[in-house]
Amino acid sequence: MQITGLTIKKRIAALFFLFILGLMFLMGRVFWVQIVRGAELSDKALKNRMRDVPIPAKRGIIYDRNGRELAISVSTDSVTANPAEVRKSGRGKETAHKLAEVLGMDEEKVYDRITRQSSFEWVKRQVDFKDSARLKELELPGISMVEESRRYYPKGSLACHILGISGIDNTGLEGIDKQYNDLVGGIPGRIVIERDAGNRDIPEAQHRYIPPVDGSNLVLNIDETIQYIAERELAKAWEERKPKGAMAIVMEPRTGAVLAMANMPNFDPNQYGEYPEKNRRNLSIWYAYEPGSTMKITTASAALEEGTVTPETRFFCPGTIKVGKEGISCSNRRAHGAQTFREVVERSCNVGFVSTGLELGLEKYYQYLNAFGFGRKTGIDLPGEAAGITVPQKRAKQIDLATMSMGQANAVTALQLLNAVSAVANDGALMKPHILKEVLDGEGKTIKKIEPEMVKQVISRDTAQELSLLLEGVVQDGTGRNAFVEGYRIAGKTGTAQKISPTGGYLSSEYVASFVGFAPADNPRIACIVVIDAPTGYPYYGGTVAAPVFREIVKDTLRYLEVPMQGKPETEEDGEKKEVSVPDVVNLSLSEALDHLRKQGLEVQVEGSGNLVWSQSPRAFTRVKPGTRAIIYLSEVGENIGQEEVTVPDLRGKSMRETARMLSRIGLHMEPEGYGLAAEQDPEPGSRLQSGASVNVKFKPAGQD
Amino acid sequence: MDGRRVLKTVDKPFVITLLIILVMGLVVLTSANAAVSAIPLYYVKRQLVGIGLGAVAALAIIRIDYSQFSRFSGLIYLLTILMLLAVLFLGKEVRGTTGWIALGSMRFQPAELAKIMIVISFADFLSRRQGELNTLKELLPCFLYVLVPFLLILAQPDMGTGLVILALILGMMFVAGANPKLLVQMLLVAVGLVALALFLHFQFGMWLPLKDYQMQRLIVFIDPYNDGMGGRGWGWNTIQSLVAIGSGGFFGKGLFCGTQVQLNFLPELHTDFIYAVIGEELGFLGAAFLVILYGILIYRAIHIAYAAKDLFGTLIVVGIATMWLFHIFENIGMSIGIMPITGIPLPFVSYGGSAMLANLIGVGLILAVNLKGNRALF
Repeated sequence: MQITGLTIKKRIAALFFLFILGLMFLMGRVFWVQIVRGAELSDKALKNRMRDVPIPAKRGIIYDRNGRELAISVSTDSVTANPAEVRKSGRGKETAHKLAEVLGMDEEKVYDRITRQSSFEWVKRQVDFKDSARLKELELPGISMVEESRRYYPKGSLACHILGISGIDNTGLEGIDKQYNDLVGGIPGRIVIERDAGNRDIPEAQHRYIPPVDGSNLVLNIDETIQYIAERELAKAWEERKPKGAMAIVMEPRTGAVLAMANMPNFDPNQYGEYPEKNRRNLSIWYAYEPGSTMKITTASAALEEGTVTPETRFFCPGTIKVGKEGISCSNRRAHGAQTFREVVERSCNVGFVSTGLELGLEKYYQYLNAFGFGRKTGIDLPGEAAGITVPQKRAKQIDLATMSMGQANAVTALQLLNAVSAVANDGALMKPHILKEVLDGEGKTIKKIEPEMVKQVISRDTAQELSLLLEGVVQDGTGRNAFVEGYRIAGKTGTAQKISPTGGYLSSEYVASFVGFAPADNPRIACIVVIDAPTGYPYYGGTVAAPVFREIVKDTLRYLEVPMQGKPETEEDGEKKEVSVPDVVNLSLSEALDHLRKQGLEVQVEGSGNLVWSQSPRAFTRVKPGTRAIIYLSEVGENIGQEEVTVPDLRGKSMRETARMLSRIGLHMEPEGYGLAAEQDPEPGSRLQSGASVNVKFKPAGQD
Repeated sequence: MDGRRVLKTVDKPFVITLLIILVMGLVVLTSANAAVSAIPLYYVKRQLVGIGLGAVAALAIIRIDYSQFSRFSGLIYLLTILMLLAVLFLGKEVRGTTGWIALGSMRFQPAELAKIMIVISFADFLSRRQGELNTLKELLPCFLYVLVPFLLILAQPDMGTGLVILALILGMMFVAGANPKLLVQMLLVAVGLVALALFLHFQFGMWLPLKDYQMQRLIVFIDPYNDGMGGRGWGWNTIQSLVAIGSGGFFGKGLFCGTQVQLNFLPELHTDFIYAVIGEELGFLGAAFLVILYGILIYRAIHIAYAAKDLFGTLIVVGIATMWLFHIFENIGMSIGIMPITGIPLPFVSYGGSAMLANLIGVGLILAVNLKGNRALF
C-alpha cells in the first residue's frame, strides 16, 4: 500500500493527540501532588529537615500564702542520643559500652536505644552531675546532654501531701503539682534543628529555638508556719501514740482557704521512692472513717435549725435507749440523768442525740447530711479526694437514723467534717475548700485569683451562732476541756469512734480519736480538725488524744495570726490590758512599717538606709507597753523574716541538693546558677549574714573550671 | 537563505516558546546552583556555554538543506555506532554508567548526540520503505536497524536513553505508516516479556542483563517507602522529589527558598530532578507553566512536521518531538512518582552540555525542515 500524504497527516495528528494526553496527564498529576496533597507533603518536608530537641519547661515555683518557696525547680542534665549520628559514626558498640559503664546501665539496652531508627532518644534522664561531666569529657559521637529541670522541695517533707511529687518528665504526679500541672508545668520548648539530607546541622543556622514557656507560679492558701505547727504537733502525737495514721487540717472558715493540711505518715518528695507508697496518701482527703461524736454537730445543726430542740430543751438519759429491738447506750453505760440539750452536747450524750435524731426524722436528717456535703467530694483542688460513704437514704431504717445521729454508720473524710464544721463557724455558709490562692506569672503579676466560693447556706446565721455557743461549752465545761486555750474562746467537739473491722462489726481495740473545732468562737478565724487513727495505749478518747493536739495547733496558730486574746475581761490585769503586740513589719516598706507600728502606739526609730525593713527590734509579736521604742533596720533589698545572724558555710564542692539543705537549715536562700558542683559562692564562706538572706552559688560540672 | 527571509518564515511561536523555556531553565538552574555548588553560577555559566555551542550548531544546520542528510545517513549510522563503541571502551564511569567521554576539560555524553543521529538515519531508512511497513516481516528490518545502537546504549548501561530510542522509533514508524495494530501488538509483547523477565528474576532468580540495583531503582517508584530501608534506600529520591514538589503548593516557596532543594534533600537536583526544584520553588504555577510551554513547543513542532515538504523531513521532526516528549514525560514523571528513575534530563532545562547541544541541534533540524517546508508553500 502506497502511503499517502493524508495518512501521514492523520498519523501525525493522532500522535500529537497522544502527546497532549500525556502532557495533560502530567499536569493532572502535578496538580494532585501540589494542590491536593500539598499540605501533607509540606508537613513531610518540615519533618524531613527539622530535628526536635525538646527543652523542658521549668515548673513554676509553689509559694505559700506569704510568698515563701515550697517547691522550686533546679537544673539537671539528661543524656540524649541521636541514633542517626551514632550509627553513622560506626562506633555504636563502643559508645554503648562507655555509656553503660558511666551510667550503670545494661549495655545491650543502651546499644539498642542509641541505634534506633530515630533522630532522638533519651539515654538516661536527670543523671548525676558527675556522670554527665564524665560523659561530656568522653565526647561520644551522637551523644549529648540536654538541660532539664527537676522539682526540688527545699523544705523536705513539709506539706508533702499537698505539694505532691513530680516525675522524671517534669510532670506532676501527685498533689498540687498534679492538680495544676497545666498551669505550673509550662509548655515545653524545642530546639528545632534544621538538618540537611546527611543529617548534618546546617551551619547557616536556620535553627529555630522555640523557648519553653515556664510554668506559672502558684501561691497556695497554705501558710508555711501554720503547716509547720500542724506537722510538728502531729509528729509529736505520732511519736507518743504510734497510731496507724494521723491528720490535721487548719482552715479559714470565712473563705474555705486551707491553711495547713498535715498527715502522718509522711515522706520527702525529693526522695519519694525511698518511702512506702502508703506514706504518700493524703489521708485528710482520702481516708474515710466513722467519725463518731464529732458528727453530732450535724445532728445538732439540723435539730436547732428545724426547731425540734432549743439549747434549753430538756432530756433525760437513763444510760441507754431502745431503738426497735436494739439498745444504744452512752459511753460506759453511764446515765446522764436529766439535762438540757446544751448539756447533751457538752457531755456528748448518745441517748440525747439519738432521741434528737429520731425526732428529726430520716428525711430532715438526710437533708442536712447532704447539705453539709457528706457523701460527696468537697471539690478541693487536690487529686485523689474520696467522697466518703453514707447509708443510702432509701435503705435507711430507724436504727440507721439512730446510729447516724450519734456519728456512726456514715464514713467521712477529715476534710468533709472540717468543712461542715467550718460552715457552722461561718454563720452557716458552707464554703468550697481551696488550696490554691492565686497564680502568678514569671514577673510576679497575678494571672488568676481564686475567690472564695460559697457552696450553700446550710443553716441560718442564728442557728450557727447558737450552736457555736453550745460547742464553746464543750470546751469550756464538757468533753473537750483538753482543747481549751488560755485567752481564747474555743468551740469544738470530741469524737471517739470504734473502727469497723474489715470482716464486719466493730473492732474492740481500735478507735479513731478526733477533735474538730474553731476559734475564736465568736469570730472564728480558724477551724481545725485533728484525727488520730488507732492510737496505741490508753486513753484513746478524742478528748484525750486529739484535743491536746488541736489545742497546741490552735494556740500557736492564733498567736501566729496575731488574733487578739479575749479571755475573760475580769481576770485580766490592768497592766496586761495595756500591752500591745509588736507587729511584724519585716519586708514592709518604710511607710507601711511606720503605719503599722504607730497604729499600735509604738515609737519608731529608723536605722540604716533604703526602703525595705529587713529586721526589727523588738521581734514581732512581742508584747510591750504602748510607747515603747521599736527600732527598724532598713536595707535596699528586703529579705525574709529571721533576725539571727548566721555564718555562711563553705559550700564549694557540694552538690546542689546538699547546698540547698545546708543553707535552708540556717535560714539562708540559695540562688543557684548553672549545674554540677558548687564552685563559687557569694558571699564568701565565713561571712556573716542575716538569716533569710540569699547566697548566690555558681555550680559547675565536676572537673570543669 | 538570508537572515531576513529566515526571520520572516521561521515558526516564531516555536522559537519564542523555546527561548522562554531556556530562560526559565537558566533561572531555575541558578537556584539549584546555590544548593549544589559553592561557586556562584558555576553550572549556569557552563550551561550557557552549552547553549552557545548548541545555538551555533543549530544556526549552521538551518543553513544546510536538510535533505542532504539523507545522502549521508549510512555514514551517520556508522558514526553513531563508532561513537557508542568508543564510549564503551574509552568512557569514564560515572555512577555506574560509562556514558562519558572526556574531550579535554569537557566531558561529552555521546548517547545524547546518538539519539539525534539515530533519528536522522532512521528517518532516511523509513522514508525509503514508504508503504512497506505492513507486515511483521517488513517491520523486522526496522527494529534490526536500530538494534545495534540500542544494545550499545543498554550496555553502558543507560536504560533511560534506550527507552527513549524505543519510543522515538515507534513514533516515527507510526507516522511513517507502519501497521498500527502490529506496532501495538509488538509493544504489548515487549512489555509482557519485560514483566515476565522481572517476575522470573525476582521469584526464581533468573539472570537478567541488569544489575539488581538498577532494577530496584526502576521499580521502587511504585512504593518508594518499601525499599528495604524505610524510604532511605532507592526510594529516597522519589520520596524527596515528591515531598519537594508537593510542599511547593500553588505559588511555591520562592527561588532559593525551597527547603528540600537548598538543604540537599533532593539528589541530582540540577540535572535529573530539576523539575522538583521548579515544583518546590515556583509551585504549581511554575510547574504547570513549564508543561504548557512544552505543549506549545511540541505543538509547533508537530505543525512543522505537518507542513514538511517530504516524509524524511516529517520523520525527523516527529522523531525529535517524540524524543522530547518522552524525555519530558519520563523526567517529570519520575519527579512526581509515576515513572521509574532512569536519569534522563528535562530538555532545555536540566543542566548538561551534551543534552543541550543535542537538543539544540534537534531545534536546528526542525527549523531547517520548517524553513524548507514553508518555502515550498510559496
